[in-house]
Amino acid sequence: MAKDRTSSNEYTGPVRRLLLSVIVLCLLATFLVWRIDSPRVERFRAQITDKFVPSLDWAMAPVTGAINLLKDFQSYQRLAEQNSELRSELRRMQAWKEAALQLEQENARLLDLNNVRLDPRLTYITGVVLADSGSPFRQSVLLNVGARDGVVDGWATMDGIGVVGRISGVGENTARVILLTDASSRIPAVIQPSGQRVIVSGDNSAAPPIEFLEDSDLVRPGHRVVSSGDGGVFPAGLLIGQVALDPAGKLRVRLAADYQRLEFLRVLRHHGTDPVSDTARIIGPQLPPQPVVAQEEVSQ
Amino acid sequence: MSETPQTRIWSMRIAFAFLVCVILFFHLLPLETTPRRWVGPDLLLAFACAWSLRRPEYVPSLALAALFLLADMLLQRPPGLWAMLALLGCESLKRRARGLRDTGFAGEWLSVCIVVAAITIGYRAGLMITLVDLPPFGLTVFETVMTMLFYPLVVATTHGLMGVRKATPGDLDGSGGRI
Repeated sequence: MAKDRTSSNEYTGPVRRLLLSVIVLCLLATFLVWRIDSPRVERFRAQITDKFVPSLDWAMAPVTGAINLLKDFQSYQRLAEQNSELRSELRRMQAWKEAALQLEQENARLLDLNNVRLDPRLTYITGVVLADSGSPFRQSVLLNVGARDGVVDGWATMDGIGVVGRISGVGENTARVILLTDASSRIPAVIQPSGQRVIVSGDNSAAPPIEFLEDSDLVRPGHRVVSSGDGGVFPAGLLIGQVALDPAGKLRVRLAADYQRLEFLRVLRHHGTDPVSDTARIIGPQLPPQPVVAQEEVSQ
Repeated sequence: MSETPQTRIWSMRIAFAFLVCVILFFHLLPLETTPRRWVGPDLLLAFACAWSLRRPEYVPSLALAALFLLADMLLQRPPGLWAMLALLGCESLKRRARGLRDTGFAGEWLSVCIVVAAITIGYRAGLMITLVDLPPFGLTVFETVMTMLFYPLVVATTHGLMGVRKATPGDLDGSGGRI
């Protein structure tokens, strides 16, 4: 028997080596195709994820729930001090709530006076987070809404308060959201109240840095950062976060969305801003197209 | 044992695929959505190395390639490059498996460390050559070191819990011959 095996090895050896080199070449080809034509391969990746992840959903939800419960259990130990913290926070919040209510009423009055029409097309779909990117090098989450629900690449996603990221990669039942913290995320933004236009570019840290800032003297920590809608792919006026200064003196954005717990995300339907298509014209009285002919017709 | 060697090989191959799916499953759980400062070990690679060194016939190269490619796809890596390098690393370990069978664990650990480091360096070099955005250097080093440190634990699990042991003289291989 031992002899059989050695003789079969002599045949399988070269075959195995050939098979290995074919596989390696296939993998290399996959990588090169991805490098050359990334969108098509990424669509393929979205389809694979679309098949693989929802089928694990039945197991993912309970396991995630159980682990989160365990994590919460640790925080129960600090319950007393948390409670007092929360109480003092609540007192401060009540003052803010009063101020917000007054401002809301004032805002409603002003809007009414000015006859402002809010954009009615900014509606949203809410999706549940199915999975994260699975790798510490990428920051993204997978939602359970996809092409079936009309989700399109580039739409913004928010949690209740602030922008979380943008859709990049849509499958039939799932869509991937690239978070603002991902190293490939770039969002045009404007800093209020100074009105300076910047780019919030993720760098795999919790607070993405602010880039292309023209005059840093006008910006203070605590100023609000909202999306500017430049480029037309991202809706304008969504809250991103607040300016913060890191120890190295670099301006960063402390994100408004709660990245610790991303469970339900809103995907904002955005149909693009209408471009101004006609050229400039002289504004004057409206004349008939050919006044001479018209006069002749009248005289006859 | 009631099962024949052939069914055992196939059941272990399926077991490895299942193990990979479990690892990917835990990777994909939406537990950590904030950027991390630390990384866990690359268990997938560690298990693949451990199994390749112990029982090469349980992890055929086609299965390894398919599973690594699946991991590439699901974990948002550039598809193909890491899979190719990891496959080559495991194959080189398989070739050395017979020589390492008689040396102690230290020799095995050392050779796995060399392979893991080579895969990581090759991966970064490949990305650099094709001008892809590189992952953060610190995290990559951290992950590599963690994989090396966790390797003995992975081996203990493989050996103890999963019963994948090095072939000893007198064991029967897949075709019924002695090794």
